[in-house]
Parts: sequence; C-alpha cells; structure tokens
Amino acid sequence: MSNLAPNTAGPASTEAAAPIVRMVGIEKHFNNVAVLKGVNLDIRPGEVHVLLGENGAGKSTLMKILTGIHEPTGGEIVIDGVSRPLVTPREASEAGISIIYQELSVINELSALENLFVGRLPVKRRLGIPMVDWKVMEGEARAIIGRLGLADLDLNKPVGEMPIAHRQIIEIAKSLMKNVRLLVMDEPTSSLTSVETERLFTLVRQLKAEGTAVLFISHKLDEVREIGDSFSVLKDGVSTGHGRIADTTNDDLVRLMVGRVVKQRFLAEEPIDRTSQPVLKVENVTSADRKRVRDVSFEVYHGEVLGFAGLVGSGRTDLMNCLFGAEPRADGKIILNGADITPKSPIEAVKSGMAYLTENRRQTGFTPNFTIEGNIAVTKSVKDAPFRGTWGLVDHKAERVVAEEQRRQLSIRCAGIDQSILELSGGNQQKVLVAKWMSIAPSVIIFDEPTRGIDVGAKSQIHEIIRALANAGKAVIMVSSELPEILAVCDRVAVFRNGRIMDTLAEESILSVAMRDGK
Amino acid sequence: MSQRVKLGKLWDIYGTLCILLVIVVLFSALSPTYFTRPENIVQIFLQSSITILIALGEFFPILIAGIDLSVGAVLALTGMITAQLMVAGFDPTLAVLLGGVGGGLVLGAINGLLVNFTGLHPFIITLGTNAIFRGVTMIISGASPVFGFSYDFVNTVTGFVGFVPVPVIFALSFAVVLWFFTAKTRLGRNIYAVGGNKESAFYSGIDVKLHTLIVFMISGLCAGLAGVLSIARLGAAEPAAGTGFETYAIAAVIIGGTSFFGGKGRIPSVVIGGLIIGTINNGLNILRVPTFYQLVVMGGLIISAVALDRLIGRMR
Repeated sequence: MSNLAPNTAGPASTEAAAPIVRMVGIEKHFNNVAVLKGVNLDIRPGEVHVLLGENGAGKSTLMKILTGIHEPTGGEIVIDGVSRPLVTPREASEAGISIIYQELSVINELSALENLFVGRLPVKRRLGIPMVDWKVMEGEARAIIGRLGLADLDLNKPVGEMPIAHRQIIEIAKSLMKNVRLLVMDEPTSSLTSVETERLFTLVRQLKAEGTAVLFISHKLDEVREIGDSFSVLKDGVSTGHGRIADTTNDDLVRLMVGRVVKQRFLAEEPIDRTSQPVLKVENVTSADRKRVRDVSFEVYHGEVLGFAGLVGSGRTDLMNCLFGAEPRADGKIILNGADITPKSPIEAVKSGMAYLTENRRQTGFTPNFTIEGNIAVTKSVKDAPFRGTWGLVDHKAERVVAEEQRRQLSIRCAGIDQSILELSGGNQQKVLVAKWMSIAPSVIIFDEPTRGIDVGAKSQIHEIIRALANAGKAVIMVSSELPEILAVCDRVAVFRNGRIMDTLAEESILSVAMRDGK
Repeated sequence: MSQRVKLGKLWDIYGTLCILLVIVVLFSALSPTYFTRPENIVQIFLQSSITILIALGEFFPILIAGIDLSVGAVLALTGMITAQLMVAGFDPTLAVLLGGVGGGLVLGAINGLLVNFTGLHPFIITLGTNAIFRGVTMIISGASPVFGFSYDFVNTVTGFVGFVPVPVIFALSFAVVLWFFTAKTRLGRNIYAVGGNKESAFYSGIDVKLHTLIVFMISGLCAGLAGVLSIARLGAAEPAAGTGFETYAIAAVIIGGTSFFGGKGRIPSVVIGGLIIGTINNGLNILRVPTFYQLVVMGGLIISAVALDRLIGRMR
C-alpha cells in the first residue's frame, strides 16, 4: 500500500503541538475477519483532521474504538502521552473526546433545553423537594448556544420540530458543555443545505481557533479541502496516506481512497437534439395542496440527463412523488414517447415503465427483511403480475439469474445474493436499489439524491449507470443537492424553488457556473 | 459464516418445535400412563385444530406489523349465522359457504377497509369491531344458543378419515395451502414486503392498501372456518363462543417465532405454535388442574415459551 501514499509528511511531521490522541497500529477483528489492519492516526489540538475512506474502509470502526464502544484487537491508543491498549467510553468522555454521529442522538420529543441537560438536570430545593432549576439551565444554555451563533433559538421547542442543522448545533452544544477537546463529526454535512454547511464550517473554524481538535469524516472532497488542515486515508482497513491537505490534490486523495483514478465527468458525448419529440414530457403538474408543487412543465430529450437543483425543502421530492403517482395531484400530465401515462399510484407508474430511486433508502428504499435477491426481484414481480401486482407465482430460478446478473454488472460487494440487505454498506445497498429498478427495464428513471452518503467509488459507478441509461434513450431525471454532482452528470439543469422551476440552464450556462464553482 | 449465525438460523426454523418437544416431555413425565396414548395424541390434534386455524389467519395481520383482535368474535358471529341459516332450512353446504366462508371474508373486509380508510392502527380498529361483532352475535341470537342442525352436517365435520379427525385434516391442509401461498406466490411475498417496510413497499409498486385488505380477509376467512368447526363440535352455536380466543391465536403466532414488528414468520412454526397451546390445554386437563388454575398456568407458559424463544434467538 505504501507505493500509493503521496510524497507528503507522515505522522511524525514537524508540528509544534503534541497530539491529543495518537492511535498506533490499531487492529480489529470481527469473527476472524480483519476490519482494521494496523491503522495510525494522529490528532493535534487546534487542527481539523479529515478522515477519508470509502464505505466499509473501517472509518466507523476506528471511531468506535476511539470512543470506547469497540475493543481493539491490537495496537495502542495514546491520550495526552499516556499509552493504553484500549479506552472505555467513560475514559474517552473524561479525556474530552466527543462524537457526533451522522444519525443525531438528540431526543426529538424533548425541548432543546432538556436535550442539553439530559441526564444531569440541575436541581434546586423548594420546601425540601428537589425540583428542576430551569433558570440555571436557561442561563447556561443561552450562553453556549449564543457562542454557536444561534442566539435567537427557541429553547423550549421540541427538537423534532427544528431543522436538522439546528439539531446538529444542539448536539455540538452538548459536547461543548462537557469541555470537549476532540470533537469527532461523522459526515456532518450529509443532510445540510449549502448555507447551513457554511455556518457549520464557521463554527468548526471557531472551535479550532479555541484550540479544540476536530476529526472530520466526509466523502465530499470539496468540503474537505475547504475545512481540513491534515488528512488520513483508510482503504480496506489499512492507512494508505497521511499529510497536509494543502499539499495534496483531489485526484491524489481519490486515488488513495479508491486505489484507481476515478472519472469526474459524465456528460453526453454527442450533442443533444432538442428539436425532435421529447422522450418525456411533463405538463402542468400541480400537487393536491397547490403549494408544494405549482404548475411544473418540462421535457427530457433523447440522451439527456435533466438535473433538478435547489435547496432542501424546495419541493423537488414532492414533484418527483407527484410524477410517480405517490402523492396526489391537483393537475398534470405525464407523456412518455407521445403516449399519456399519467400514473395515479406507484403501481401504475411501475407498470407503465417508470422507476423511482427515492431519496431515503432506509425509509422508502429497501425492504429490510429481504435478501439482496428479494429486494431486486420484488418490483419486477409486481410489474409482471396482473390484478394490481398480486397474481402469480414467484419464479425463484429466473429471479436468481436476474439478481446474479445485476450483482455482476453493478459489482455489488456481498457474500452472495442470499445475504440480508441490512449487512451491506450504504453504497452497496444503493446499488441493490439501482439493480431493482434496472431489472424492470424502465423508460423513465428518477434518481432522487442517488449518491447521498455513499463513497467516491460507488458514486462514480452510479453516475456511470445514469449516463448509460440516458445514452440508451431513457428519460433520466436526477435530483441532487450537491452542485458538483449536478454539474458532473446533468446536461440541463432545472433550478427549483418554492414548488416551481425558476430557470432551466443548458450546457453553456452550466459551464459558466461550473467555471465559477471551480474558481 | 460463523457457527453462531448458523445456530440462529436453525433456531428460527426448529425453535418452536423444540419448545413443543420440551412440553411433550414434561407432560409425559408427569402423566406417563395417559398422556402418551395414541388416542390422546389424536385428541391433542383435535383440540388444537380450531386454535391452529385462527392462528393461521392471525399470522397475516401480525406479519404486516398489525393485529386482529376480532377473531374470537368473528368465530362466534360466523358460527351463529351458519347455524341460523341451517336452522332456517338452508342446505348445510350453502350455509357454510354463506355463513362461514362469506361471513368470514366480509367481516375481515370490514376490518381491512376500516384500517385503510381511517389510517388507525389495526389494534384500535379490531378492538372496536371485536365488540361490534360480538354485540351483533348477541342481537341476532337474542343471547341464547342456536342448535338443532342436521346430523349429516355434524357427522361430516366431526367425523374421521381413518383415525384422523376431519377438523385436523381440515386445519392441516389449510396450513399447507397457506404455506404454499406465503412461500411461493407473488401475493405472499408482497405481504412480507409490506410487513418489512410499508413505505418502501409502496414506492416499489406494491398496492399496500389492497394487500392490507387481503390480509384481513384471510384472517376473517380462517376465523369463519373455525366458526363452522366450532358449531359442529359443540352441536350448537353459542353467542359467547370463542371469547378470549384471540389471546390463544396471538400466542400461537408469537410462540411460532413471528415478529411483532412485521415481515418475519413462517406458517409451519405457527401450526406448531397452535399445537403447543393445544398440548398445554390437554396436559393440564389430564393432570386435573382446575379450569381457573389452568388459565394461570397457561398464561405463565405462554410467557415462558416466548421468553425462551427470544433468549435463544438473541444468543446468536
């Protein structure tokens, strides 16, 4: 692996500050399978250290060892110069190590205030009876939340009603109250808008200036470059590189993570003919409440990927639901190759050749109690069955053939197609869902945030699939909140706001935006 | 992969059977002379047949993370309708088709439609319909039993083929049909998908409401057939028949390893779950445990059986 490492400084670089935490030669085996094979990691105060790696590279396991959830099989952890074979969750917390998981651990039913003091409510005595001291809580909470730039937050509102960005800040505030010295953030930006991300970064810079070390896990290289000082890369449980971000190119980082050079652009190679009949024509689609989606019309032409850019909550997903018949419409027509197919329900959409890779694979994507094979097979079986998808026998033999073929084509990494989908990494789960939709040979495919939370390697594979579908004459729509992704894949971009298409940009204007983005 | 995973899978399939064997061994030791006699084994199957039948129906609502609390009342009402039709002079076959099969399907459909249209949890809906169906049974019968059906009907339904009682053949063959249905048909697999995650099933093109309706109709049908068996066995349609049977049905389904969270469970294990309930009943009768004490022991054994299952299931 060392031949892949760029010629940059290793852990023993010349920084002044001594590391808060050093992890040396960490190994971890699960059931005799080596997940980490001698990983090194140095984190210094006042520095944002970025941990990079594909899904399944071992980042989460490493973090769980650092916070004391897993016991390492080998290696040592040095905290403030004291070496130990393992840390307990308590020791980690006492050393000031705090982690913010991607799935936030705030309690949605409680208010911000209660969340901040959960498990350690301050108490005052009235007539000898212990009671919660709300005043002290409010004072302390105001101070800390104010420091994080959210002075006007309503502390008494249930956290569940707040946007994710605010919940995240409350979680950060919780760590700050415990005198955090090393804050670990696991993909903190995956569900934030760009404005919220910017605010989070300001906050991270502030923490850094105060001397806190930040360990930042992310897949998004642009972000990493913006916020990170130093980096470590993991690939298949091995450290493949360390160094300063400023001395390294993105291509180097990708190569360290994936082990090969990854293609960056997936645009149409031939000019798109927009004078012929469009493959898909959408007319005046309006949601039942006439608010979330208002009078949307657009066309998708042969060989083209149409992107939908916009902020989270602008109604893009509602529009996709309306197209697929998953949400009631007040008005609207969907015309495929000149034929009206306007579906009233997902089953009608599937039957007329539409596919819809939904935004949230856990909530609306996969069937958790099914194997890989079952997840791939179920939609095709419904599509082929008369009486609204209910009639007929399951043809396991044919389904296995399809599943095996998809597994090969999409290189789904698994023990076999009989493995439970829950045991796969996020990227591979997503590929199974792509396989499910591929198996019905759709004519219209909607990809809603197709690469959210998945790694660089799987991402470029999914982008490649999207392009291949467009080249094969399918109407492809892609919703994404990641502008770089939109620019890399889409030939035309509809900018969505408040339930409407505000503007549609074609190649030339996208290119100018792209240039601006790349500075 | 590892030994533990294999053990877990084996327990999923054979766990319920092991519990049954433990209970059989226990009663054999306590009553060595009578319990193991062949006549008694046949008796156990006969006693279990109604429990098995309603448990087979109950399996489906639980499979979609719901429940059907009305099966006892459906059993009583369908039995009552069938009995009244026969007493009114209808041909027994027609009465069974109208009262048992038709009645069960309609009552199940009422549950399913209410669940679909109100969006309430099946627990609430069937808690309500349980009272409604029981009330209707009382109203149409004037709260008194109906009897005096033809001997042909009683003899056919309670007869034997060789040494096997007809209700047993009936319950077991229905189980085989439903086993095939769950394991081999698209509809069956779709129901598992709905049980696993309703949202993703919906977005995958499965008509979740249609499948919910079908699920409750199957539950109603099984309870309706159990209603017919029960009036034939008693020789009368009792307005209070089947009271508390939902407990046994749910217990059999859960002892059979079906997950309350939906999407996981097997028909053969549910049949064994029903047999466990029947065996416990039979064993306690043989040991002359008074009825009220039987209830206490039964409840305790249900909890122990499921606790044991979870304990071993968690060891993987």
